[in-house]
Amino acid sequence: MPPGFDPTLNPAGLSPDFSLLELGLYAGMGLFVVLLLLTLLALATLPIFFLALFILDFVLRGFQVSPDPVGKYAKLAGLVFRSLRRNLLRTALTYVALFVLTGMLTLIYSVVSFLGKLTSEKQAQQMVIVTEKFAIPSMMPPGYASQVKAVIRDKLPKEYQPADIDKNFMTWSFVGGSLSLEKRTQENSLFLFALDPDAVLNGMMSEQGLSPDDLGEADWNELVRVINIVKEDKRNIIVGEDRLQIMGKRVGDEMTLYGLNYPDITFECKIVGAFPAGSRLGTGAAMRYDYLQAKLDEYRALKGKEHPTTTRCLNLIWVRLPDKESYERLAAIINDPATFSSPAVKMETFSAAIGSFLEAYKDIFWGMKYIIMPAIMVIMCLVIGITITIGVRERWTEMAVMKVLGFQPWQVMGMIVSEAVLIGVFGGMLSTWSVYFLPMAINSALKAAKVKFSFFDSFACPPEIIIYGPALGILVGLVGAALPSWNARKVKVSDVFSQVA
Amino acid sequence: MAIVEVRNLYKSFTRGTESIDVLMDLSLDVEQGEFVALMGPSGSGKTTLLNLIAGLDNPTRGTIMVGDMEISSLSESELAHWRTRNVGFVFQFYNLLPVLTAYENVELPLLLLPLTREQRRHQVENALGLVGLTERMGHRPGQLSGGQCQRVGIARAIVTDPTIIVADEPTGALDAKSADDALNLLELLRSELKKTIIMVTHDPHAAGRAQRIVHLEKGRLVGADALTTAY
Repeated sequence: MPPGFDPTLNPAGLSPDFSLLELGLYAGMGLFVVLLLLTLLALATLPIFFLALFILDFVLRGFQVSPDPVGKYAKLAGLVFRSLRRNLLRTALTYVALFVLTGMLTLIYSVVSFLGKLTSEKQAQQMVIVTEKFAIPSMMPPGYASQVKAVIRDKLPKEYQPADIDKNFMTWSFVGGSLSLEKRTQENSLFLFALDPDAVLNGMMSEQGLSPDDLGEADWNELVRVINIVKEDKRNIIVGEDRLQIMGKRVGDEMTLYGLNYPDITFECKIVGAFPAGSRLGTGAAMRYDYLQAKLDEYRALKGKEHPTTTRCLNLIWVRLPDKESYERLAAIINDPATFSSPAVKMETFSAAIGSFLEAYKDIFWGMKYIIMPAIMVIMCLVIGITITIGVRERWTEMAVMKVLGFQPWQVMGMIVSEAVLIGVFGGMLSTWSVYFLPMAINSALKAAKVKFSFFDSFACPPEIIIYGPALGILVGLVGAALPSWNARKVKVSDVFSQVA
Repeated sequence: MAIVEVRNLYKSFTRGTESIDVLMDLSLDVEQGEFVALMGPSGSGKTTLLNLIAGLDNPTRGTIMVGDMEISSLSESELAHWRTRNVGFVFQFYNLLPVLTAYENVELPLLLLPLTREQRRHQVENALGLVGLTERMGHRPGQLSGGQCQRVGIARAIVTDPTIIVADEPTGALDAKSADDALNLLELLRSELKKTIIMVTHDPHAAGRAQRIVHLEKGRLVGADALTTAY
């Protein structure tokens, strides 16, 4: 969410007195749903896991008839697969546990990685944000938009200016409205971004998923069509599909919105289009900035005085600059109190702005990265360690027999480690691959069926997890099997048989 | 000529703070091709002696020569390597790997030796043929009777053509008929293949099939030179 956003006008549709208890409840429900989904996914992929084991075993059997030493080692490796098949239920449960835990780890890693990318600086094109320096939410005079443009044109050397300032510039104003003056509920409230519609067509919101690449040609053309309708009449607005559903409205409906942060101002709106459900704007809405300005002018004409927000109705300014150096030069000018003093403003990159916003949650992210992720890894090691330990205990005599037959301690140890690594690598691989590819596959299928459900588009795991998953499985297998395999290595044959006798 | 020479052997175990002497100053010779039965009451140290001769444990003091190898000072890894070639072990409870077929169980020790696949197959088929289980080589232990499992165990013990065969109560878990079959096999191994066999048993009937019975009591030999009348 951009800095300067008014927390009392929550686009997610939550009530303004949204408490920590509610947050905890939602987080708990979210965690439960994720765990449930991962467990279902694990059960669904269980046949693939066993099929993979079967295929590997089958391939090994093929190698077993090869000339030595390949044939001999293939036979020894075959013992590992047979041990895993010995107790199918235990092997399956271990796989499911590892799958779920790896999935959780993958999701946490994806979130942390996604935020890291958002807050990392880009050398190329810089989207920069101008906000009020000392106040949250940022509320600047509308005249600041033209002043920033003038600074860019007049004070920034030509080579650092965007090719066309008007096409690389946009302003944001946040408008909260309610269908009823008397009773305000989640169902009758609407949060709108007051924008210049051309800014979307100029690609200023491509980072928000409003681009031909993200939407696809058909959806982009539909958005362009709707924006052109918005341009025909100031009152036309676009509302997210999710929000329409909550409010019980449809495209084509007209409504009167009573301003919440613009008291005594009433907006007559007509819904002419919808943002896709599940997209970042799925619960929000957009209106024309000049309609807000017109309403403020109308207020002055009627009341004979300025509306209290007239000089504070500009929340954000976005500028797209050619590169980092352009940003640094412009920031030096804009951030100078001599340029903007009442109120003073600050210019920062998009990533820095998000970083500032996320600063409040840094403890949560730190906890996710350095407490929850390691804790999950420890649990994974324990799960596999306990399973392998039980398996080793059950086969204590067999281990001793193998040593009697002449197997070296390291060979016995290697067999145990291999069992753990096999479960680990398949659990890790299928889990991360499912989490990575499944949303893409579902989205492709939905697109093919012309069904819109773009949640899966908005969630994407970093591609490196395709490698990290199996690698994590190997690591967990090695660590988890360390103790039981060491015990198997150290099994004292004479002790085992004296106990048996 | 003695194939096994045990000299002044001591073996103690520590339980908590207490040291228990299981074998005390024990000396024993076993000749090449001899079938020796170790008898004695529980706790007399016969299984401990068998384990030491088989290289499954190290003595506290004393020496054990098997063939021309002094095994009492070998490391665990060296002992494992030595056992592969020189010791065949027959267990009371067969101890076959349940996930492997009879053929695979017998082949298992051969996988540790530098043999070709053909050589392995030849040796496994010979060993299973000797114990009369050629027809059952594809069966898992769960599909075989106790007597058949023990015969597979014997085949596994002889498949590497070891210097000595050690058997710990080989008839202890078998019915009379199967026990007799197992003992006949051991006798056959001694008479036809000139194998040296050392067997621990509580059963006087089984011990009576050996050439020599060695009695142990409280870690010492008693009447060690007694020979059975059968041979």
